[in-house]
Amino acid sequence: MKTVDQPSSAPSLADLIGTTWTRFWFTPADAWPLAIVRILGGLLALALWASYAWDLEIWFGPHGMISPALLGAWRSPWSVSLFDATRSTAGLLLAYGCGGLVLLAATIGLATPVTTVLGAIAFSSLLHRGPMLVGPADDVVAVILWCLAIGRSGDALSVDRAVGAWLGRPAPQSSVRTQIALGLVRVHAGVIAAAAALAQLKGDVWWNGTAAWWLAARADSPLVDLTGVFLQSEYLMNLVTHAIVIFEIVYAVGLWVPAMRRVIVPVGLGAWPLIGLVAGEPFWGLAMAVLAFGCRSPSP
Amino acid sequence: MPASTPAQTPPPPLSDAVRGGLTVALALYLLGLALCVVGNSGSGSSALVRTLKSKLFSPWMTPPWLDLGYDTRLTHGLAEDGDHRFEIRRLDDPAAPEAVILPGPAMHGERAARWRRLARATAVSEADPEREALLPSAVSRGAFVPWYTNDVSLRVMRHLPPDWRDVIDGLADVTGRDEQAYAARVRLVDGDVQLITSTPREELAPLVKEPAP
Repeated sequence: MKTVDQPSSAPSLADLIGTTWTRFWFTPADAWPLAIVRILGGLLALALWASYAWDLEIWFGPHGMISPALLGAWRSPWSVSLFDATRSTAGLLLAYGCGGLVLLAATIGLATPVTTVLGAIAFSSLLHRGPMLVGPADDVVAVILWCLAIGRSGDALSVDRAVGAWLGRPAPQSSVRTQIALGLVRVHAGVIAAAAALAQLKGDVWWNGTAAWWLAARADSPLVDLTGVFLQSEYLMNLVTHAIVIFEIVYAVGLWVPAMRRVIVPVGLGAWPLIGLVAGEPFWGLAMAVLAFGCRSPSP
Repeated sequence: MPASTPAQTPPPPLSDAVRGGLTVALALYLLGLALCVVGNSGSGSSALVRTLKSKLFSPWMTPPWLDLGYDTRLTHGLAEDGDHRFEIRRLDDPAAPEAVILPGPAMHGERAARWRRLARATAVSEADPEREALLPSAVSRGAFVPWYTNDVSLRVMRHLPPDWRDVIDGLADVTGRDEQAYAARVRLVDGDVQLITSTPREELAPLVKEPAP
């Protein structure tokens, strides 16, 4: 009996992966979503930057607590910071002031291709100058700033664009760089949510439903006092605890399923700030919401 | 009548070479991101992951502050997850006012949170042989100059929230309690920092009386 090979119309797995990869990373994207991430992320970066202002000299000054000698023993050998070069209070304040201005310029979209890169360098430099002061919000904002440095976030909602329109320049087209930046935003949003869920599940309190109590009963961190509510209802305390973990897991997975993404991203815009509020890490919650905003683009 | 803005021609598609280069760069970054998440976990990491990460990825992922585990656990209900604070008192002046508390009551938001992180790092790092005594001496040194002193007592206090069940059963107050996480006397003698740590009472061996003959 003679067999005849039927030509297969189904693409191979390699083709499927290649097509999906190309569509995800290299489909030109509109700048609007990234521009909104730039404005919101820039405002967050400015707020975190400003939180150093009062104690800058006490921490990093010539006689400050976190001396270069201490950093030498504390940091990774690959750590570098522009602030390491400041030897006087005036130099420190100058570097800090310039960094703040660069972040402000990036936020409003002034000379965006330059200021977003300089802003990311300045922000990570400040974190390297005092790694023991850094919180989870700083980590997320650093990621956002590097994504902004890659994409063309100044093509919309920016001073650059306003000046371009005034000069009669045409509106910029969609860009692959912007799509790569938005793709990285989504990858990090998923990774950070998954890593947080995994880290939490290593603790008993996230299984026995009391984690929300331990967050609420701390002395200073909580912004809202939920202890009274949790003392009234054990079930509510359990519900809040489990809801946080379940949301993080569903969010990390849902970002990659288009039907789920349409629901989970808008939910994330509200849920992340609420989790931040309950956890006493409001800036972390807001930074995660900014990442969620970057996942709203209709890319695959 | 305003001049019409010219329509911009669409950008040319990426060449295969550029797309290939970007694919390699993105794949490398994603691999580095995965190794950083696995290698910076609070549970530790395998020798293989540690070596791969430190040799191939940390050199270029650390400077932009991307060598991170993102393991934001929020709490595990442990003592070290409680809020920490400094209490610094100058010892060379009996008339000196009460201890300075950092973060103070006037500090709020992220500024106060950074002080709490510094206090926590000071207490927790004492269990790390490579970092032991570094932060207590550094923090105390920071107090020497503004106070014109060479002799301070440094304490890190942490707040222990009560167990939910204990509050319900009336065995504990909802406000919790404070415990001393670290304490030392730090002084500057001939330019050198001397650190005299105080051992918590519960860690001392109990005194055993000789039995009566």
